[in-house]
Amino acid sequence: MPAQALVSGQGDQRRTLVVVFLRGAADGLALVPPVADDHYYRARPRLGLAARSTVKLDDRFGLHPKLAPLEAAWRDGDLAVVHACGIEDDTRSHFEAQDLMEHGGVVAGGWLGRYLRTRPAAASGALACVAVGKALPECLLGAPSVSVMQNFDEFTLGGNTPAFRSQLERLYAMERGRLGAAARDTFDALVRIEALRTTKYAAANGASYGRDDFSTGLSQVAQLIRADVGLEAASIDLPGWDSHFAQEGQVESLAARLATGLAAFRRDLGPRMATTTVVVMTEFGRTVEENSAFGTDHGRGSAMFVLGGGVRGGRMHGAWRGLNPDVLERRGLLEGYGDLPVLNNYRNVLAPVLVRQGATAEHLAAVFPGFTLGPLELFGA
Amino acid sequence: MNCSRRQFLVAGAGAVVAAGSGCSRARDLREDARRWLGQPTARVLDGPLTAPTSSELDPVSHVLNRLTFGPRPGDYARVAAQGVPAFIEEQLAPQQLGDWLCERVIRHECDSLSDPQSRLFPRPAAGGDALAQLFPGVTQHPARVGELYEYKDKVLLDDLTRATLLRAVLSERQLFEVMVQFWSDHLNIDPSKGEAKWLKVADDRDVIRAHALGNFRDLLRASAVSPAMLWYLDGRVNRRSKPEEKPNENYARELLELHTLGVHGGYTQQDVMEVARCLSGWTVRDRKKFFKGRVEFIARQHDDGEKRVLGETIPAGLGARDLDRVLEIVVRHPGTARHLAWKLCRRFLADEPPAAAVAATAAAFTAAQGDIPATLRALFATPEFRAPAVRGVKFKRPMHFVVSALRATNAATDAARPLTDYLVRLGHAPFRYATPDGYPEEALHWQNTLLWRWNFASALAANRIQGTRVEPEGLRARLGGDDGLLATVLGRRPGELERSAYQESGSGLALALASPAFQSC
Repeated sequence: MPAQALVSGQGDQRRTLVVVFLRGAADGLALVPPVADDHYYRARPRLGLAARSTVKLDDRFGLHPKLAPLEAAWRDGDLAVVHACGIEDDTRSHFEAQDLMEHGGVVAGGWLGRYLRTRPAAASGALACVAVGKALPECLLGAPSVSVMQNFDEFTLGGNTPAFRSQLERLYAMERGRLGAAARDTFDALVRIEALRTTKYAAANGASYGRDDFSTGLSQVAQLIRADVGLEAASIDLPGWDSHFAQEGQVESLAARLATGLAAFRRDLGPRMATTTVVVMTEFGRTVEENSAFGTDHGRGSAMFVLGGGVRGGRMHGAWRGLNPDVLERRGLLEGYGDLPVLNNYRNVLAPVLVRQGATAEHLAAVFPGFTLGPLELFGA
Repeated sequence: MNCSRRQFLVAGAGAVVAAGSGCSRARDLREDARRWLGQPTARVLDGPLTAPTSSELDPVSHVLNRLTFGPRPGDYARVAAQGVPAFIEEQLAPQQLGDWLCERVIRHECDSLSDPQSRLFPRPAAGGDALAQLFPGVTQHPARVGELYEYKDKVLLDDLTRATLLRAVLSERQLFEVMVQFWSDHLNIDPSKGEAKWLKVADDRDVIRAHALGNFRDLLRASAVSPAMLWYLDGRVNRRSKPEEKPNENYARELLELHTLGVHGGYTQQDVMEVARCLSGWTVRDRKKFFKGRVEFIARQHDDGEKRVLGETIPAGLGARDLDRVLEIVVRHPGTARHLAWKLCRRFLADEPPAAAVAATAAAFTAAQGDIPATLRALFATPEFRAPAVRGVKFKRPMHFVVSALRATNAATDAARPLTDYLVRLGHAPFRYATPDGYPEEALHWQNTLLWRWNFASALAANRIQGTRVEPEGLRARLGGDDGLLATVLGRRPGELERSAYQESGSGLALALASPAFQSC
């Protein structure tokens, strides 16, 4: 059932934002192929996906066959897609692009970290924000509190006496700045998670997660949401999209993991999905043309996905001009197809997502400084 | 006895059957040998063990913190006696430093890296230079890279990880090992990609360790034609046999963006594409072919037209020599000196290094034409490096934290899984960073790892890590009681709060290692 049907206008209910980053530059033209465009097949004689093999989105676009588990969300109107999306920077460098995108421009700290700073301090608990993985992603730099974790069981100060813990707290209490804050977050999170660890979790509504890290991570996020620990934001990566070489199998397996995880997450949360938004992003897209090694190189525009309650889903958003070489972005001096231009700045996707979380125009100016926003109308009736 | 671990572990049923029962006795002998070879028994503490007495980090503690993976008991007294300048010079010339214990342990523990039969580890040549024997360049000792394919890839990654940790803990050539880590990040290769899982071992030996304190030009040249790098950054599929074929830009981009000029170093997308054209045709034979792992230049896959790289013209028809022209252009570009100097200063000075120190280091790099010891000597001589304000401001990355804890406690370790699992949890296990930018350096990336640091500290102090042992009581006695132990671990006299928390914690050594002060260097 459509998630928004369950929203009952209770504005005070806590909302959760889940950011999925596809690291390595995911090929938007493989995930959401423009199957009605002859140029697509001319540029990709070997890699182009036949229209009949894809899940039909509208008259212009299909969905990669391995993304089929997301079809239900599209039909229910919970999933929106923005194509030709990305950043203004054209270094085509993974790190530069990820940094700029996660920072929200040339600015200190991450866009999500800065947004969380705008939240009232009372609203942010020890588990207001969780980064699933081993390290803090750039988008969360500067967040008031964030716990990095791989799974709950690990998240314990094992084998220690209360005396050890209290003396450790005593030493770290003297620390100013970032290290002291990190220590306080760690002590707080220990207490919250301890409570969570003692209860056994089963996915709801017959949701079936995959066995990979991505699915596991998403199921943990769902667990935190359902346990009402006050989660406001979570980040999780799905890496490995840098498909320079023989990309078909690579993209298939990653797309399957992405769709399986998200579909299970949506089913697991059920009605809670009404107050949850998932945004899927990547640093840039890949060349329109395939290369000699059955792969694609670093390009410009890619696709973004927004999933959740209140989304004006089941339709494509933003500008699109097709793949005619005349409208593509030139790549140096070499002949041939250029790159898919960035027609939709990623900030114009994130901005409405943050508004959905409760951000005001003033907040948005702090989150994306020095940029004139033209937010897409991704939410609403 | 002539039955190596390699014979146990080579992939293939025949070898496994052949290994049979005769080898179990050999294994027992190996265990015996381990015991009397000093592994994993702790180093005998000899010489004066005087701990620091100053209430702040002094120049001796500072230089030990930055040039090594952390001081061992006795290091402070030794460096204080010889003087900081002499210590720096000693570390800049590792070939003069005997390191037989460390190399013997490696040779014994990590067959894939050292089995003499495989010729991966050179036999001692009479009268040869000691360092050249230990770290052969490809040219002096043509290594049979193809033999690496006989191992199971997991064995290689394990051996390489263990050897890296053991060397960081045991080696006298500490600055060399620090630079090995620096270059391993700078020229990062995640071996999980393709056949790099076999070839990274050769990259570690013939690229990183062969040139870690050599010349940057040679290091970069070796890396450019390293079989593992050709896999990792797709150089092996960069070809242009027909005009319509597009070169693969992956390596070309990282060469400019990460390895040399830096992302704002002054190159364009056009330069990336031109460099990719220059390097087209270089490839490595895969495991389905004879002579697997061999690097070769295939002229018909090379774009031999004229190119323009960073404003310089490379004439048509140079073939394989395009590579050397490109490397010459990028190494002498001022952006490269600036970028490397900035990274070195960030590692040795502060996360946001002072501009004057970066400029002085860059100038030394240029003047010495890429000589790494000369560049480092200049860095360590800057007033900024010696200023009290930069002491103790670097947050240790997890591996530095773990190794410094092992060194401070004079721990005996086999560096096997139970230890390396901690590094995995801390997100900093060697050779497991997926993207070519290498593990990040700045504190803010690592401050969320506190929980696992605390867990490691208490597990180490309580001897709860299998294969790793400390003797807190013996250590305490040898170092002159609690104050001596705390001062040795912290590199300075403990404060009142530290002293009292240590006493009341019930596990003083664990608390010292978990304390805020020990997270920094």
